[in-house]
Order: sequence, then structure tokens, then C-alpha cells
Amino acid sequence: MTRRYWNIHLEEMMEAGVHFGHGTRKWNPRMAPYISAKRKGIHITNLTKTARFLSEACDLVFDAASRGKQFLIVGTKNKAADLVARAAIKARCHYVNKKWLGGMLTNWSTTETRLHKFRDLRTEQKTGKLNRLPKRDAAILKRELSHLQTYLGGIKYMTGLPDIVIIVDQQEQYTALRECITSGIPTICLIDTNCDPDLADISIPANDDAIASIRLILNKLVFAICEGRSSYIRNP
Amino acid sequence: MATATAFSAHLSSLFPFSTQSHSHRFHLHCRLSLSTKPSKLLLLSSPTPILKRAIIRAQPEESDTFLFTGDEVSVSAEPAPVSDSAFEGAPFVPPSRPEGFVAPSSFDDGPLETEDELAAAYEEVYGPAYSGVSVLGNDIYVMDSKVKKITGFGSKTKKEKVKDGFEERVVQVRRVTKVVKGGKQLHFRAIVVVGDKKGQVGVGVGKAKEVISAVQKSAVNARRNIITVPMTKYLTFPHRSDGDYGAAKVMLRPASPGTGVIAGGAVRIVLEMAGVENALGKQLGSNNALNNARATVVAVEKMRQFQQVAEDRGIPMEELWK
Repeated sequence: MTRRYWNIHLEEMMEAGVHFGHGTRKWNPRMAPYISAKRKGIHITNLTKTARFLSEACDLVFDAASRGKQFLIVGTKNKAADLVARAAIKARCHYVNKKWLGGMLTNWSTTETRLHKFRDLRTEQKTGKLNRLPKRDAAILKRELSHLQTYLGGIKYMTGLPDIVIIVDQQEQYTALRECITSGIPTICLIDTNCDPDLADISIPANDDAIASIRLILNKLVFAICEGRSSYIRNP
Repeated sequence: MATATAFSAHLSSLFPFSTQSHSHRFHLHCRLSLSTKPSKLLLLSSPTPILKRAIIRAQPEESDTFLFTGDEVSVSAEPAPVSDSAFEGAPFVPPSRPEGFVAPSSFDDGPLETEDELAAAYEEVYGPAYSGVSVLGNDIYVMDSKVKKITGFGSKTKKEKVKDGFEERVVQVRRVTKVVKGGKQLHFRAIVVVGDKKGQVGVGVGKAKEVISAVQKSAVNARRNIITVPMTKYLTFPHRSDGDYGAAKVMLRPASPGTGVIAGGAVRIVLEMAGVENALGKQLGSNNALNNARATVVAVEKMRQFQQVAEDRGIPMEELWK
């Protein structure tokens, strides 16, 4: 795997507040290698390790994208929902914005059924069939369509299981992480001081509360994906 | 730990040409080691105007205490609060900034693209998939042909049976009941053993309202947990073993060629589907078919070939036969 320059600077990470962790009482002792200090009852993560993991993750993602692999970004915190959507759109990846439905990956055949339904509903809406139905039926179908749009809107271009999954908050997306582990999909996860770094494949110790820090890390990863994609397009 | 190795296997399957070294398995973290030339850390060499306390506290660690096994190992006097032994390989040296590197804008900046542009961009990469719209003129229903095979009614699903070379044998089909307010709800529970006769077996359970679908479900389940049976060239076990699952205890013993499989019920079916020709097996303990099948699987998993033991112990095979 070639290592490239990803424009990772410790200063900008500090500005974004990537080094802040959660309170000292809530830590996971397995994070001890990545915690550098304790200040005012909050753990501070070691930024060089973060930088190292982030650059490794970017390398991995760049390599995968240059081989044409599919990505999935998962982040359901209401603070981060918008960010995740925009980041994924910029990188042309799939994303899960709202609640992660249980079994999305392990029960992929059922998810596919739902995606089929979503597609049929959309075509019906486009062709205008919904207007010909009685009001009540049309309202029910429209509601269903909006539900499917919120939950499955980000994965409507996904034809099969993704190759790499990027998870924004480990505590919140524990089910997603578990599913990836059982399905055998490599994961990149943003780890905070109360998370377990051994679960994901590449865990980036960072702050998952601050929007700025999530935006920074997603920025780097999205940049890496875009670069990889462009190199894939140039020579497939 | 097992999952970590599975991941690295997956990662390495993604990147068959990567230069990962598999030397640090004994760490719980599955890290990709980078082989770099030990040179000055460029990030920290530039004095930053924003000298927050954390950096001052962090700096002594990074610049001095490189307990990574680089060439110049300088063990610092101050105890590093972090266990740097978790990291192997040289200290983190990021690649230098190439000339003409333009920092990309954040994904937030810039106008949001219109729906059509987005649809076109996504369709370029993935095809229309399930979006229901096709800007580039592809067929919207392209996913139908790929997916319909699995959920096809009628005779189409029979193709799956023979495709992967596994033979199925039904061990037991039982009618189980759940009592609800309205009466009894009947289901069928099927236990199926799946195997090619070359050393791979799996036991699966499935429940459904009809026998056939229960058998299918259990076959799918069986294909998910398949084990390999270590066999000698005379198609028998390398040594005795016993395994238990629940209250079922099963004893397996190798036999000389020409004996055949001498075992009862579930044990016999598992051994036959594995392709074992000569073996003796006895169900001590409960007679439950499912538990006995699982117990034989446990017993078989415990067996080791001479080769494996020699490798694990690190001694040549001749020593084992003394």
C-alpha cells in the first residue's frame, strides 16, 4: 500500500478539537495506549497516534477506491447526520443517515426486498400512478415512500454488500459494527475514549462529539476516496 | 483475536498485493505496519505558534520516547503514560508534502449539487440500481434479474441444491407446537446435515410452517457452519476423541480400513456426509439427535493431525512417534 500525503496537521486537528475525549469516569481502559493526558476531568487523546491512524485509514481507503470498491458511511447522530450525507454525496458513496435498521447487512436479502419496493414506489410516483388512486391509498403509499426515503435513501445505489464501512460513532452504531464483524466486512471507526479499539479494523481515536472534528476526519477520508476514484477512472 | 485475524485475512484479500507484514499477531490490535525510513518527524519539526499545553505535554513523548522498534531507540527517562509497546515498526513519519499540493475544500463548502447531477454521478459509478430513475438511459429494472433467482417461486429454487457440491441428508423432522390463546401453532423443525464426501460437514436447524421450507432453511443454516474433518489416507480419524454438547456425549474412535462406519443415528449421518469410511462412534449420554450431531462436530473439531501438532509444538514429526 503506497503511503501518500494527506495534509494531516496536528494544529488543525487541535483547532477542531479532535483531541478531546469523554469524561474520565466513562473511559474504556483499552484506550489507555491512545490517551495522552487528563485535563479537567476529560481525557485527551494522543494526536500523533490519531494522525498515524488517520493516514493509514486514508491510504487504505485510497487503495480500495482505486480498485473500485464500494464504501458505506454510517453516522446517525443528529449532529452528524447532515455531515455524513454531504460527505458521502461528495465522495459518491453510500451512506446511512438515519437509524441503522437491524440486519441491513446480515439480512441483506430482506433489505433488498425493501429496496425493490422503494424503487417501485418511486417509479410509480414518477409516472403519476399515485394520483389515480383514491386519496387514502395514495396517502399511505406516500408515507411509505417517505419512510423508505429517510431510511434507505442513502443506500439506494447499493447493489451488494459494501467492501469497506466507515462508522462515525462506535457507541451509537454498535449494531452496525457488530453486523460488519459477522459479515466479515473491514471497518474504519472513529473511536472516543469510551469505546473499544479492538472491534474495528482501523480505529481512529478522535472526538466523536464535536461537529468540527467529525467534519475534519470525514474530509480527509472523502478526499482520499475521491482521489482513489479518479485514479480508478483513469486506469481501471 | 480470531476475529482480528479474520479481518486481516479479509483486508489482505481486498489487497492481495499489499505489503502488510503479519508479524504482530500477538497484539489485540490488527495494525497495518508501515516500513519507513527513520527520519525526522516533519509534523512536529515546525514550531507552531499555537502552543497549547497539550502539545507541550505531548511533544516530549513523540520526539523523545520512540519506544517503537526503530533503529535509534532512545528509551526516555520519563515514564510514558502510554504503552508504546503496542506499536511496532518505525515511528510515524508522514510523507512530505508534494509540490503544488492544493488543500481540497471541505465537502460542506460549495453549492449543493442538483438532484439530476447527483443521480447522473451516482449512476456513472454504480449503475441505476434501486433508484428508480435513470438519467443516463440505463434500464431501471436491472436489479430484478440479479435478485429474482433467490426468491423465485416454482421450480427455480432447485438449482441451488446441487450447485455447490454439497449433499444434504435430513436427520430428523419434528413437529413442534407453540400454544397461544387461539390454540396450537404447529411448526416443523428440520435438522439437516450437509456435506461433500471429502471432509466438509455442517449441521443446521431450521423451522418453518411447512416441511420443505424448513428443510431448505436448515440447509442454508448448515452451509453457514461448515467444518473440516481431519482424515487420514485410509479415510478414518487420526485419533480418538470425545465431544459433548448439552447432555449428549459422543465418543469417536478410528478403525482399520474395511470396518465401515459403526455408529448410531445422527452420528452415523454426520460421519457419512463427511466422507469418513471407517470409524466407530458411540452416543453416551442423551439420545437427542441435534445435540448428538453437534457433539460429533465438537469431537471432530478437537482432533488434530500429526502435521498440525508438530507445527504447533515446533518439533519435527518424528518426535511425535517416539
